[in-house]
Amino acid sequence: MTRKQEILHRAERILLLPACTQKALQLLDSPEADSEDLARLIEFDPGLTANLLKIVNASRFDAPVCSVRDAVGAFGSGMIIQFFVSTGVVPFYVQKIEGYDLAPHMLMQSSVTAALCAEELGRALGMGVPGHTYTSALLAGVGKLILGAYVKVEARPILDLAAREGIGFDEAEDRILGINHAEVGAWLLERWRVPGPIVRVVRHHLRPELCPQVDPVLDLVHAGMVMSKMIGLGLGADGLNYIPSRVVIDRLGLTPEVADRVSAEVVERLGPLNDLFLECADTNCLL
Amino acid sequence: MSLLVVNISDMKSSACAADILVTYSLGSCLGVTAYDPVARVGGLIHCLLPNAVGAREKSRRNPFTFVNTGVAMMVRKLIDRGAEKHRLVFKAAGGANMRNDTLFNTGARNFQELERLLGRNRVKLAAHDVGGTKPRTVFLYMDSGRVVVRSRGEESEL
Repeated sequence: MTRKQEILHRAERILLLPACTQKALQLLDSPEADSEDLARLIEFDPGLTANLLKIVNASRFDAPVCSVRDAVGAFGSGMIIQFFVSTGVVPFYVQKIEGYDLAPHMLMQSSVTAALCAEELGRALGMGVPGHTYTSALLAGVGKLILGAYVKVEARPILDLAAREGIGFDEAEDRILGINHAEVGAWLLERWRVPGPIVRVVRHHLRPELCPQVDPVLDLVHAGMVMSKMIGLGLGADGLNYIPSRVVIDRLGLTPEVADRVSAEVVERLGPLNDLFLECADTNCLL
Repeated sequence: MSLLVVNISDMKSSACAADILVTYSLGSCLGVTAYDPVARVGGLIHCLLPNAVGAREKSRRNPFTFVNTGVAMMVRKLIDRGAEKHRLVFKAAGGANMRNDTLFNTGARNFQELERLLGRNRVKLAAHDVGGTKPRTVFLYMDSGRVVVRSRGEESEL
């Protein structure tokens, strides 16, 4: 068995997305499903219902939304996918990831920072921000969870190789493990039946020029990841050992001035959003 | 002993010998300490960006976001707390960059801005640990002015 096969074999037995979240993602990916089916599914779960109403109402100043059906209508399917993935994944994200030297909540912090950077960049560059940009960025680091917390790979030899050869951390992962954390993450999300466009972004977010098609969401998530590393929140042992894609930066027309402005904006926005996700991950949450 | 945590775009100061100031997660950001060993007054700032060009409103709202406005403001606060400007000892850590990054260079720009600011005021950095690709955490011990940098589980004194 190769090291890669061994890693995927171990990951296969460990991680499961909550059943309700899996069902919801299947529904959302099916053209026949309607919002009634989705609402019925959520209504069976008091924890999900409470979280959905809390999140929908957090951004409303008029009459509060009091039913799941109204909440699903108010959110739209893009935001609902985001909601399910976030609430389903957050409990995994807040644990310690020993192999990558990430204390509890650090992966969450860096993922939320990358997601906000991707969104804010899209706005700053006047590109519009497709609905799955945030979710894709939020999930981009999920492979670290498997490698660092479950398979317990050690970052040190990977870092040493990256430093010695002047390569990115992901390339060093490839050489030592036979697979990098972006690919592991995409593999996991495929098993979780997360929609294909999100999986594609996660798979290619570290080396977007290798993606067979040009995808603006992938470009935004790659640039968002780069900016979040520079901001520094939730940095693990891998630090800033990643190579920004010149192709993507040129395609986006991203300048240091825009990047600075967006970073300052994101740091201001981070406080309340972090709190919101951490609340969802509270141990009292019935997920 | 109390640990005072300095967030991103934040500064904390102290005149209490039992305090330790700390800032985590320095990526490209720059952590700067200033300490008066006689008055035992010190501060630690965590700056996100070099300067407020193009973001004047932001620098008015929070000068600590930027090296040029933040470090100057920290010095003013320390003087208000009894420090003497000429006795302040400055140290810096952070300012990392992405690997092979020739475009953003945020870490290098942050450090250049600090050197420019200190040079204009004829002040020299007593020590620094900047650049590379590693994340850093910085501690300032108020009893002695000792500055410790932690990265990947290893600590070293600046």
